Amino acid sequence: MAPELAGKRLELLREVLPRVARVAFLASGRDPDGRLFVEEAQAAAERFGMQIQPLVIGGPEEIEGASQEVVRLISPHRPDVVVAGPAFNAGRYGLAAVEICRTIAERLGLPCVTGMEPENPGVGFYREYHNEKVFLLPTGESAAGMGRALSAMAVFVCRLAAGAMIGPADREGYLPRGIRRLERGERSGVERAIDMLLAKVESRSFVTEVAMEIWDKVAPAPPLKDAAGAKLALVSTSGVVPWGNPDRFKTYRNTHWQKYSFAELKSLEPGKWEAVHGGYNVAEMNQNPHYGVPLDALRALEAEGKIGRGKLYPAYYMIPGNQGSPAVMRRVGQEIAADLRKEGVDGVLLVAT
Amino acid sequence: MISKELDRAGFPVALISAMYPVAEQIGASRIVKAVAIPHPCGDPSLPAEMDRALRREIVTSALKALETEVETTTLFAPKMAVSS
Repeated sequence: MAPELAGKRLELLREVLPRVARVAFLASGRDPDGRLFVEEAQAAAERFGMQIQPLVIGGPEEIEGASQEVVRLISPHRPDVVVAGPAFNAGRYGLAAVEICRTIAERLGLPCVTGMEPENPGVGFYREYHNEKVFLLPTGESAAGMGRALSAMAVFVCRLAAGAMIGPADREGYLPRGIRRLERGERSGVERAIDMLLAKVESRSFVTEVAMEIWDKVAPAPPLKDAAGAKLALVSTSGVVPWGNPDRFKTYRNTHWQKYSFAELKSLEPGKWEAVHGGYNVAEMNQNPHYGVPLDALRALEAEGKIGRGKLYPAYYMIPGNQGSPAVMRRVGQEIAADLRKEGVDGVLLVAT
Repeated sequence: MISKELDRAGFPVALISAMYPVAEQIGASRIVKAVAIPHPCGDPSLPAEMDRALRREIVTSALKALETEVETTTLFAPKMAVSS
């Protein structure tokens, strides 16, 4: 999202909640544009006569501290409900929103509402936390769905604030959290189970009452005996490509990978490479592509014999990783694995942004 | 997701990422803690020499991770200087 949209977001928030007076604004300290975001939001808040509290955090290791800070700032205001997001398909934002909701629910006992696309990585954490005070509403994938997302969240927030009893996820529209509650049914469990069994035997459809979470577990591959003797390849999702983006990667939702040769190179010269990625600010990556494709370090280790001479595969694999759907990334992983096998590679370094 | 498929195919992978909580959650096997999302391998706020040394340290940790037998999701932390 561009910094100038920070004001637009406040405007939309005000449309949905006309009486909103104080807003906390979460920004990334690692984003070179972080300060611009805060300044834009502050200018807009002034126009609307709102108070704004900027909270600047760096990386995941600072989430804990930032969550504490949010708790400290929120508690004196004694809110009825806390809202974070909507984060749409922004994974880094979604994760932060879920973490903050959980901390507030745990420390202050307040109900919290957030919103994001069901494939946002924040959703996995939400499911894992099983916190009965945190509700995550599904949204569309981009801020184009802001109006609809905020309306749905506002309705939900008002119900929570009014102390309404919230029913199960499939009836209320929030994403399931893996919490089970006892309910008195019309028919006994034995009867329902036999109905389901008959349906299954007769190949009719039925809905289970005990849905299992399917976690696709993969056993780690065996280690390399000696990295210095192994053939290594580099895969990167940083978006670093030759200048001009010859394969026309998009800044998000890419579906294909490419290989780019660095066979003759000792390092990646700034200006000959660029980062194509919509999920982070690429200014620093453009100045030094080694942040995403650490060729200088690999060559140094090669010179010291820590990587065998000629053992580094002479090209790197690239797919800019922003907002990739899990299904596409699985296929891309399988395709890259097939290529690595063909090329006789033993082990992989994967740099992910 | 990519790293899991590579593991599944039998290639040990060192996943260098600043979003290590997500990597842990999806079940990547060898995760190397990186500096930050916009610059995983290094830190532009450091002098160039230290930035290069930090990158070398991260890649070295990744090589060590590849040589390490792991049973499940394991986080490897390179020695990093504190950055601003």
